[in-house]
Amino acid sequence: MNIEDVFCSKVRMKILKVLAQLGELNVSEITRRLSINYETTAKHLEILEAEGILQHKRFGRIRLYRLDENSPKTRAIRTLLDVWKQSETI
Amino acid sequence: MFKDETKLDINYVPHRLPHRDSELRLLMEFFNSMQQFPGKMSQRVLVTGEVGTGKTVLSQRFGADMTREAGNHGTHLRYIHINCREYHGSFFLILQHAVSVFHPNFPKRGYSAEELLRILAQILEEENAYAILTLDEFDSLILREGSEAVYQLTRLQEVRQNKPQRLSLIFILRDISLIDKLDASTRSTLQSNIINLAKYSKQQLTDILNERVSIAFKPLAVPEETMNAIAELAFSENGNARFGIELLWRAGKYANAENLDTVNPECARKAVSSIIPATKRSDLAYLSLHEKLLLVGVARLFKESHKAQVSLAEAEQAYMVACEEFNTKPHSHTQLWKYLQNLSSIGIVKTEVSTAGPRGRSTLVYLPRIPANDLEKELETLLQKGEE
Repeated sequence: MNIEDVFCSKVRMKILKVLAQLGELNVSEITRRLSINYETTAKHLEILEAEGILQHKRFGRIRLYRLDENSPKTRAIRTLLDVWKQSETI
Repeated sequence: MFKDETKLDINYVPHRLPHRDSELRLLMEFFNSMQQFPGKMSQRVLVTGEVGTGKTVLSQRFGADMTREAGNHGTHLRYIHINCREYHGSFFLILQHAVSVFHPNFPKRGYSAEELLRILAQILEEENAYAILTLDEFDSLILREGSEAVYQLTRLQEVRQNKPQRLSLIFILRDISLIDKLDASTRSTLQSNIINLAKYSKQQLTDILNERVSIAFKPLAVPEETMNAIAELAFSENGNARFGIELLWRAGKYANAENLDTVNPECARKAVSSIIPATKRSDLAYLSLHEKLLLVGVARLFKESHKAQVSLAEAEQAYMVACEEFNTKPHSHTQLWKYLQNLSSIGIVKTEVSTAGPRGRSTLVYLPRIPANDLEKELETLLQKGEE
């Protein structure tokens, strides 16, 4: 997927923001926090995982998603989010 | 007056535990194999003793030392200390807390306690980690969940044969006879390693208090006569070191408030009259809403009647009035009886079955240690906080 395709989605950006902030969350919790439906959340998580930005761990029925800190893409996104947050607080 | 009053906090774990060296060494000895051959063997230890004999602090000191040692050997060990009463003895909530140590945002619902236990085992496996899970105030888990939960915990390793043994357990409880409430097979898994902490003598209490004074107070702030008075009070309170340390802190506060140069014995006397003996405020705070309502009703009964004991029927009436006052639907008689058993096991009330009455057996309730007035005030504050 092109960078513009990954970043053009408001939901995907929100997912990245919430995971950067809280570390790891399960699908229902992301759904609840972003006030979107489960299927939409699951679809976007899948896309971000396929891009190597996220990873998940499965515990029985529960899947916990987090940023894949080993991925250069994720590191770049983290920097972007941090810079953005800092400039918002100035 | 104070150099560092946090050293008198209930949660502070000192580096040295006077008069508990041999018990600490014994605990280390029990876990020695886990240290030398991680994964080959897990351990279960029961720590018992009266209130204020150092059960919690001993385990926490051990946990910190053990974790550091393991780190030096390159082993990833987590010491998890959980007060079961804080979770109302619920196995599910206790396990959830244990899992949250590794995954703080783990979902709060959607699975059973059994699944959680498997998840905990999976986490340890995947992280190549070992855990010592200490269940403090284990009594409340036994009373609420009975044998099944304890059985599942102790047998976790057996369903994972040929895999590294990653979970060790320490159970802390006041009254070892509570173990008799468990079924025989569960009991047998617990009774191999027992450390019983004897009550402190007056001299031992003095040593403990001296040690704390040296790190918490400025030099010469607490004269010897005050130390002796506090040690005497702690000794008369069943050799309760925790009580002595709390008195020390309060006495220091009174001395500060009165701008005194030293903490004199009068400060200690003022402190003792302001404290609810043998019962930390946190003991009351951990009670469920209906336990608090029942207890506030009982406290009022004693306050108004000046009697030595009240009947369960009277307590129930007073509880219903308290429920009405705090706009809560009363629970059933059977439920109330269970609450009373819990309050009794914590030591706030004492119950006795009387057969003297004309209508057969009835339960009598006593309030042995806490002034009814103080208890009522404390509970009212807590209940009002809960309403906000």
